[in-house]
Amino acid sequence: MELVLDTVRKTFGGVVAVDDVSAVMPQDRVTALIGPNGAGKTTLFNAITGFDPPDRGSISFGDQRIDGLPPWRVAELGLIRTFQTPVGFTTLTVRESLLAAATPHFAETPVGALGLSRKARDHERASGDRAEEITAELGMAELLDVRTDELSAGDRKLLEFARSLMAEPKMLLLDEPAAAVAPANIGRLSQLVRRLCDERGLGSLIIDHNLSFLMQIADEVHVLDRGALLASGPPAEIAANPDVMRVYLGEDGAEGEGA
Amino acid sequence: MTNPIFWVGVLTLAAIYASLAMALNVESGWGGMWDLGIAGLLAAGSYCYVILTADPDLGMRFAPGLSMWVAWPLSALFTGLVAFAIGAPALRLRREYFLITTLAFAEIIRQLVVIQADFTRGTLGIPNINRPFDSFVTGRDYNYVLLGIAVVAAAVMYLVTRQVGISPFGRTLRAARDNEAVALALGKRVNRMRIKTFILAGVLIGATAPVYLFYIRAISPQLFAPGITFTVWTALVIGGLGSIRGGLAGAFVLIVFTEAVGLIEVDPSHINILVAIEPFLVGLLLVLVLRFRPDGLFSERSAFGAGNRAAGRSAGDSRPAGAAQGSGG
Repeated sequence: MELVLDTVRKTFGGVVAVDDVSAVMPQDRVTALIGPNGAGKTTLFNAITGFDPPDRGSISFGDQRIDGLPPWRVAELGLIRTFQTPVGFTTLTVRESLLAAATPHFAETPVGALGLSRKARDHERASGDRAEEITAELGMAELLDVRTDELSAGDRKLLEFARSLMAEPKMLLLDEPAAAVAPANIGRLSQLVRRLCDERGLGSLIIDHNLSFLMQIADEVHVLDRGALLASGPPAEIAANPDVMRVYLGEDGAEGEGA
Repeated sequence: MTNPIFWVGVLTLAAIYASLAMALNVESGWGGMWDLGIAGLLAAGSYCYVILTADPDLGMRFAPGLSMWVAWPLSALFTGLVAFAIGAPALRLRREYFLITTLAFAEIIRQLVVIQADFTRGTLGIPNINRPFDSFVTGRDYNYVLLGIAVVAAAVMYLVTRQVGISPFGRTLRAARDNEAVALALGKRVNRMRIKTFILAGVLIGATAPVYLFYIRAISPQLFAPGITFTVWTALVIGGLGSIRGGLAGAFVLIVFTEAVGLIEVDPSHINILVAIEPFLVGLLLVLVLRFRPDGLFSERSAFGAGNRAAGRSAGDSRPAGAAQGSGG
């Protein structure tokens, strides 16, 4: 299964934020999406996940056309995204946030709430165990009962990632997952992303500015520049690409953006 | 200083307001839908009940004369239906737009009651509403029966809303209130869930309406002016918006306080000053509560996520590590 973008275009007023981007991202690979600020990376995420549908072009996941679907429907199909600014469910604890992510629809009705079914209870218990596993893997087990708005920015970032894992994803879309995360935890994060992909076939599409982090874990890299796809290929090839160097470092070296 | 019957009445009224405040908390506290249409929903439930049970001799166009035990659940369901009719368009709006729309709908319902006088007797109202068990217990003693009914209703309301609050459904409601985008990104059908919650609140308010009628005994449209909505809101804010026990505690504090102010003994020539000062004192109570307990008597924080105290420490520990890294770019 793959996530396929076909000449996707998105404009805001006169500004072309995403300029006819076509790409194929396998569901069981780690794909990186890089590019300077304003290159259209997050806009592309919003287009894929239904938050801001494209003006033109098509997006499909497997054999399902997903452009124009509402965000919750895209998520139901297994494309789970995180957000660049990790606000989260501010008043919920880490545990509650993770459980909320895993709650199935049948438990989310007033009637379901009143006569809590055995099925819902079993599901709740299994989710609780999974929440503990995931937080342990990310080194944040001791934060389970802390409210989201009391977490550090880095821990909130990790929570974004952990939460997306609870929602039964088929593919993750991670918007700057490593930004503000402590160096030790970035190691855990990359290991986990890699292992989820290799062992369980759960791939990701990752935006980040931390190129050393991305180059370690990505199977394929796409470079966006001013809305258009500049280059695609394996990390080593991209790192050696003179066009990419120029975009990242600036022709006159003035605007350093890479890490 | 006064006879016990007076206080029985005050506690009955407090229990009724407690029920309404707890129902409001489900949609507004947890669901984040700030509903100013409580009076309208209460009117819908009350008139449904009164019309279904009215004496056919009163000359209303539709008076099936149902038993109150049949009419009671029907009123709850009907109010849920009205809530759906209001919620379907209003929930397309957010925050203050939603708030003002619900207020408008409540006024529309009140005007409909006035205009549809064939069915509702309009401003004439309907007196002598039948009350349960009043053939067995009569006179002043009936006030104790009424208190019992109101307290049982409030207890049931507490158990029902508490169950909603601690359930996975309540948790998802609070999650979607905190961050709608994240909820959507996790596949939550936020709009559908909100409209169900709005209907649930309608059903709960409709179920309380008959108890309110037993207490006031006669119905007329002016009973359902917006004032009732604001009293319910004040009770909930004093008790703690988003908590589990807040509506219950807030209503008792507010109603007992308000009624007690009316008991202050003054020289008869100063009675109008006392009447004028009453809203001022209620306002003062609200300001004091908000000053010293901004989250209300019971806070949402204390109601959910019990491990907060122990956890605060470890959150502090991890902060320097997270902050030192900065962003990679």
